[in-house]
Amino acid sequence: MSIKTLILRSLKKNLTNYYLYVFALVFSSALYFSFVTLRYDSSMNKVQASVKGEAGFSAASILLLVIVSVFLLYANQLFMKRRSKEIGLYQLVGMTKFKVFRLLSIESMLIYFGSLTIGVILGFFSSRLIVMLLFKITNVQAVATLHFSPEALLQTLLVFLVIFVLMLLVNYFFMKRQSILSLFRVVSTTEASVKKQSVLELIIGIAGLCLIILGYYLSSRLFSTDTVATNALLGMMVAILASVIIGTYFFYKGSISFLFNLIRKKKNGFLSVQSVLSLSTLMFRMKANSFLLTVITTISALAIGLLSLSYISYYSAEKASEQFVPNDFTFSHKKDLASYEKTLSDHGIPFEEHRIKVLSVPADLSDVSDRPLIFASSNSKYTPISVISTKSINEPPLKKNEMYLTGANDSFLRLTNFKESGTITFKLKKESLKRTFTELKHHYVVSIKYSNGSLPVAVVDHATFQLLEKEGKPTQSIYNGLDIKDNTKLEAANDYFIHQFKPVASNNLSPRVASRIEDVKQQRGMIGLAMFIVGFLGLTFLITSGCILYFKQMGESEEEQPNYTVLRKLGFTRDDLLKGIMFKQLFNFGIPLFLGLSHSYFAVKSGWFFFGVSLWTPTLIVMGIYTMLYSIFAILSTLYYKKIINDSL
Amino acid sequence: MFILEAKNIRKSYGSKLNKQEVIKGLDLQLEAGEFVSIMGASGSGKTTLLNVLSSIDSINSGTIMIEGKEVSAMKEKQLAQFRKHHLGFIFQEYHLLDTLTVKENIMLPLTVTKVPRNEAEARFKSMTEELGIYELKDKYPNEISGGQKQRTSAARAFIHNPSMIFADEPTGALDSKSASDLLQKLTDLNRSRQTTIAMVTHDPVAASYCSRVIFIKDGQLYTQLYKGTQTQQAFFQDVMKTQAVLGGVPNEY
Repeated sequence: MSIKTLILRSLKKNLTNYYLYVFALVFSSALYFSFVTLRYDSSMNKVQASVKGEAGFSAASILLLVIVSVFLLYANQLFMKRRSKEIGLYQLVGMTKFKVFRLLSIESMLIYFGSLTIGVILGFFSSRLIVMLLFKITNVQAVATLHFSPEALLQTLLVFLVIFVLMLLVNYFFMKRQSILSLFRVVSTTEASVKKQSVLELIIGIAGLCLIILGYYLSSRLFSTDTVATNALLGMMVAILASVIIGTYFFYKGSISFLFNLIRKKKNGFLSVQSVLSLSTLMFRMKANSFLLTVITTISALAIGLLSLSYISYYSAEKASEQFVPNDFTFSHKKDLASYEKTLSDHGIPFEEHRIKVLSVPADLSDVSDRPLIFASSNSKYTPISVISTKSINEPPLKKNEMYLTGANDSFLRLTNFKESGTITFKLKKESLKRTFTELKHHYVVSIKYSNGSLPVAVVDHATFQLLEKEGKPTQSIYNGLDIKDNTKLEAANDYFIHQFKPVASNNLSPRVASRIEDVKQQRGMIGLAMFIVGFLGLTFLITSGCILYFKQMGESEEEQPNYTVLRKLGFTRDDLLKGIMFKQLFNFGIPLFLGLSHSYFAVKSGWFFFGVSLWTPTLIVMGIYTMLYSIFAILSTLYYKKIINDSL
Repeated sequence: MFILEAKNIRKSYGSKLNKQEVIKGLDLQLEAGEFVSIMGASGSGKTTLLNVLSSIDSINSGTIMIEGKEVSAMKEKQLAQFRKHHLGFIFQEYHLLDTLTVKENIMLPLTVTKVPRNEAEARFKSMTEELGIYELKDKYPNEISGGQKQRTSAARAFIHNPSMIFADEPTGALDSKSASDLLQKLTDLNRSRQTTIAMVTHDPVAASYCSRVIFIKDGQLYTQLYKGTQTQQAFFQDVMKTQAVLGGVPNEY
């Protein structure tokens, strides 16, 4: 048999075994190529020009590259270990190490560059789809056309060539180091052998659980205690990260076997075949792979967390823009308002004008927030707060001593520990004026520009308002808002608005005029691009980590095949074994997933209010999709086990 | 009444074109409570015979009855059920699950039967004390010696009171001291529990512990020897002589 037939034969065998590896390779090269194509394509200028996504794109492509290359190198290493017996055998029959190396290299070259070619072709076609998706979520009105970009191809080829050379180098050193005998043994050395549980492990196990719980506890207090005031925020974050990550590592190292051991102790030797196949092997396997599992869990948590946060922002874009544009349109100058009103009347669009006089009155807020440091600009006891009258917003009058606050921003409230009710003392020129408030409303009446930083706006009775105006001599400003009465005409009104104010509307930070629709679009565009990039990376990570767990399961199932033979000889049916395997997969994939979900849940929960107004719906959607995609790998590996079990007798 | 009765069984491997007949029309009867060895040269079909008798492998023609039930006609699920409740196995390589403790390994066959916990516990205790491995119950297989592993394996085979035990070269991987220990224990268990044991071996010493030795040659019954009232030493000499005739090779002892 010549080397050529050897290569072709083992290639054939490997393709059926490693279809998932080929798939992952095709997938990652397709992703990378389409991503790079996007970067070089002219149609992307539309997206990038509006939101300056260039930096994001290049950062993401580097991260993508890191994920892909780590995955490919790791998978390659796994395969080398699995095939070490074969390598040893070739050497035993007299092939030189170099010849075996050449054989393996040619073989992997065929798989690698074959998949790469398919990946690039797929990537080219899918990039158009991806651009369409990107345009959709960033609200860019453009037709997705793509041109084949030679630069992108060159970059992809170069990058994957470098990864391939790295792989060859790793293989070369692997072979050079090993003697024939050790090649025959290499499989068994990777997994820790079964040992009795030591006291140290027990301590590690308990410590792991405690550290994770501590991290969660700290994260829940991150923005709600004195940490913000005492500038300990950064330290706290580092502490949370460290305790959760170390806790996760210890969890896999000790807690799992500790917990499973408790269950086993309780069963007192009476282990059903299901628990034989799941509990008893898992506790040793997880310990041996604790580092890998920690990395997978942490990055899963990161991916889910970032995806959730970006989706929260995207989901709440409309709500968030209310802060900046409380009405359909706002104007800083009265003359802009007047000219726009004229345009609307000319076109017969009915509208409603909101002109609100806003006073900025110094007030003592010590009763409602124990953390005045954040918003007090100087050492003064008084903080300027915006005050408007009920009359100016057409609301029924309040009782004389009462008022309410409105336009509360979630992140602000949490940071300042703001109370739901309390007393605010306004400072006048001579005396002071006390008013109690019983309500903290969330909707915005005037834009954030008029509300003294992020403070809510005080709504008082008109009599009080007049008193404040007369006695306090505060600074005054007028908020000009405009609502279109008929919602169906909003689009048309917006078009006239853009037409009329195009030259002045572009300044983002303090716009002279603003339109809600445009603001939402802009927010969506910005967050949409971030979400797109994070989603891209998250998906890549999901697939690569799923593949790694699957490959591990492949190896495990083959290692455990003798056990299945024994069990089947003893009279356990395939179904019995398969049930146990399903149970095992539930834990094997479920524990990293569950930990990742729970980590990301606590991470998101600690700071979601900076990103949007709705926590549950977007987070649950992201987690649901992630779980679904992830389960595919659990199902695939169960199917692989099924094959192994069927073959075992 | 025979506990195992095989009639004219045939077994062949390979494809239609390249057929290798391993068992060629063999008849065999085992009586309840017997301790039987099956001997034969390598390739004579003794392990295949044990596999088909114990229902792990299927036969091409013929019938096998165990306890009056026709095993050879059963479907896969029924077979599994049957093995679980009525048969016990001891293998040359012990085949203990190395992620389970000694106790968990032994208790494995009991988890599928409806034996109450405390009775299971009592059985486990008496069984392991008889075999002298009670103290090892919380150890893992890689922490004990080969002889102890094989005794664990034996305990697993006996614990659910099967009607038959099949042993495939149980002493093959043991040193002679551990081997004779194990065989003595098996003989004791065979007497005290009246469990029928069929054992494949090519060690004449091991065979001399049995009450009957069956010799297989080229897939057919060649001859058989009964121990009767002979001493073990005399029986050993008989077995040696037969083996020498059978194999046509000078004996190694």
